[in-house]
Amino acid sequence: MAIKNDDKLNDIEAIQGHFESLGYICSVEIATAVYLAYHLEKPVLIEGPPGVGKTELAKTTADMLDLPCIRLQCYEGLDESKAIYEWKYGKQLLYTQVLKETLGEILEGATGLSESVDKLHSFGDVFFSKEFLEPRPLLKALEAEEGCVLLIDEVDKSDHEFESLLLEMLSDYQLSIPEIGTVKAIPGKKPLVFLTSNNTREISDALKRRCLHLYIPFPNADLERQIVRARVPDIPPKLNQQLVAFIQELREMDLKKVPAISETIDWARTLILLHSESLNPELVRQTLNVILKFQEDVETVQSELQGVTNRAIKAT
Amino acid sequence: MTQLHDTLVEFVQVLRTADVKVSPAETLDAMEALDIIGIENRVLLKNSLSMVLSKNPEEKEAFNTSFDRFFSFNKFSPESDAAEPDEHNHQDDGEFDPESEAPNQQSGQGGQGGGEGTGGGAEASEELDFEQLEAQSELGKLLLSGDRMEVMIKMAEAGRQVEVNQIVVFTQKGLYTRKIMEAMGLKGLQDEVGELQEEGGRPQLYLAGQLKGARDHLREQVRDYVEKQFFLHADESGKQLREELLKKVKLSNLEKRNFKDVQEIVFKMAKKLVSIHSKRRKTFKRGQLDIRKTLRSNMQYDGMLFDLKWKSQKVDRPKVMCICDVSGSVSNYSRFLLMFLYSLAEILPKVRSFAFSSDLGEVTRLFQQSKLEDAMAKTMRDYGNGSTDYGQMLADFKSHILKDVDSKTTVIILGDARNNYGDPKSEILREVYDKAQRVIWLNPEPKSSWTVGDAEMKKYAPCCHQTEVCNSLVHLERVVGNLLRVAV
Repeated sequence: MAIKNDDKLNDIEAIQGHFESLGYICSVEIATAVYLAYHLEKPVLIEGPPGVGKTELAKTTADMLDLPCIRLQCYEGLDESKAIYEWKYGKQLLYTQVLKETLGEILEGATGLSESVDKLHSFGDVFFSKEFLEPRPLLKALEAEEGCVLLIDEVDKSDHEFESLLLEMLSDYQLSIPEIGTVKAIPGKKPLVFLTSNNTREISDALKRRCLHLYIPFPNADLERQIVRARVPDIPPKLNQQLVAFIQELREMDLKKVPAISETIDWARTLILLHSESLNPELVRQTLNVILKFQEDVETVQSELQGVTNRAIKAT
Repeated sequence: MTQLHDTLVEFVQVLRTADVKVSPAETLDAMEALDIIGIENRVLLKNSLSMVLSKNPEEKEAFNTSFDRFFSFNKFSPESDAAEPDEHNHQDDGEFDPESEAPNQQSGQGGQGGGEGTGGGAEASEELDFEQLEAQSELGKLLLSGDRMEVMIKMAEAGRQVEVNQIVVFTQKGLYTRKIMEAMGLKGLQDEVGELQEEGGRPQLYLAGQLKGARDHLREQVRDYVEKQFFLHADESGKQLREELLKKVKLSNLEKRNFKDVQEIVFKMAKKLVSIHSKRRKTFKRGQLDIRKTLRSNMQYDGMLFDLKWKSQKVDRPKVMCICDVSGSVSNYSRFLLMFLYSLAEILPKVRSFAFSSDLGEVTRLFQQSKLEDAMAKTMRDYGNGSTDYGQMLADFKSHILKDVDSKTTVIILGDARNNYGDPKSEILREVYDKAQRVIWLNPEPKSSWTVGDAEMKKYAPCCHQTEVCNSLVHLERVVGNLLRVAV
């Protein structure tokens, strides 16, 4: 493939570096995935708990390569007319009207039915042609002239049928439109495809087989501190350390929804807004709703809040 | 490169035995990835292969252990040398290369190379003041050259040749060790040693001693290698063998200690069925307008839109009622049928289950709420005693449950139909037959004994859409699979 800025994809450390300069701190695994995706021309299926930066990875890659990011958000009931293409029905109907009026001219000089039909056949069939085609994200991604990053978000939310629709796109970078034929990606400009899944249901083996599989877990404390620093640059190092230690301990607890990185970042921003320099139990109690999204979780944590906060403070 | 690819294929085989599903296409992808990233960086290699070959968290874990086990054997040669008195080699791997190359350059001095290989010869080489002899047999030459990598490769090749990955039980270790040694050319070496000893000169005897030492050392290495292969392959394939057996064995012969395994198998089978059958849908006359289909089909009417097409689809799930005989002889079968049905909750949400030996009782909630083992035990306690009375069961069914049976209901009865010469009341079953979509009778006894003694199958069979012998997991799977297929 020879897409724009592909020199940035030449080795794994470089990718990591470029990501970092864009504020996306990633592990070696993630950088390796992007590297392989490009060089093997394979889509990447990203799985992991919510809020670990799955979608962000695709967007950052697009930023890094300075390519458009075409996003297809999946949901139940998504079908080909919203994902691949749709006909412009209104215009098609108008076209038949126009055709009817000019029918006389087309058939001029023809006598008898068979001759008329012959004439009609020789007349170009535009009813199903590219002019009347409304491209949707998948088709747009194939036709992108510069290449692009295609993000198929939350593919687990879509139906089984839709997964099957994706297979052709993912393995051969082409789509079949029955009326027109096969649309292929521009050679050398194949889109870089990312699929994300929250594992609400098992993705079919057929889809998995065609993808590289990347699992992004919650980051360890060290990586998470770096991420917070990159995203919230004005955070005091001490607060950063305490905050991450606190969150890491929360993840060990038995909660309905454990806080993800995005919540850590939100919390860091909140604490900055409140001009706090370090954690204290009172402050944590007030801002707990930023990181915990269920009342029962809040209650669980509150009973142990003192201890956890103290441990987090001690950790520095 | 082909050598690498062969190794990769072997690795994929190991992965498969470790329950990581790897398709041939993925193997090809892995080869491509291997070509791009090379093998110098172990972490990179592991990450990349993990991405290409393992596709969910469990598989990733299995991949990691398999990877570490499988590729650890590359380090194995220097490691086992660490046990030798040779101090220089095992300090670190970096020193290992230049040292082993040195004897190759001094090509005349096979003796010193042998010293590297066999250890004890290192000091001896200094006292050598006589003319050196060279080993003649291929294996001897290889061993005395001291090139560990080459020996390793040879060993792996021989292993492939004798199919060491087919090893199943521990006691085969000796056999495979010998086979590999032979494949590597043990005979040539032995003959040479014999000849040298017969000739009897000092240099000859010295060389013979060296060769013997090298041979013993090699044997140790091979044994080690075989052992590792055993852990890689046999552990898992032994499990597979057991699973295959368990699937076919008669359920009543299963022992308690096997229940856990069986449960696992049932879950696996159920999962397979779920994935096959969860996609069944049918179009429904309601919901969103499908403009495209509508336009298409109305083109023939000159674009007048009157034949409307709808988008909505409805998943049709079968309603299942399951009546299980839980008297002593049949209880084991009932246990597994229920286990199966409740593992299918995802696609069979409407299972109602009943247990009886004489009086019928509903156990649906019991099974939904408590663990299978507890639910089963409670069911047995409440309904399991008393002599079997199918007539009473059917009468109870009629008075309480028949009203819920409709044309979408499948009724499954599991029992041996041994009624203790009581009134079979098959006319009630007839009523069920008329009302339900299907009545399936599963009988754990072989067909030949269906009419023998107090068995009433002859009377019941005409009132069933289907009667099946069902006494192993394979049967169960087939029955449930059919149930799902026809149920739509």
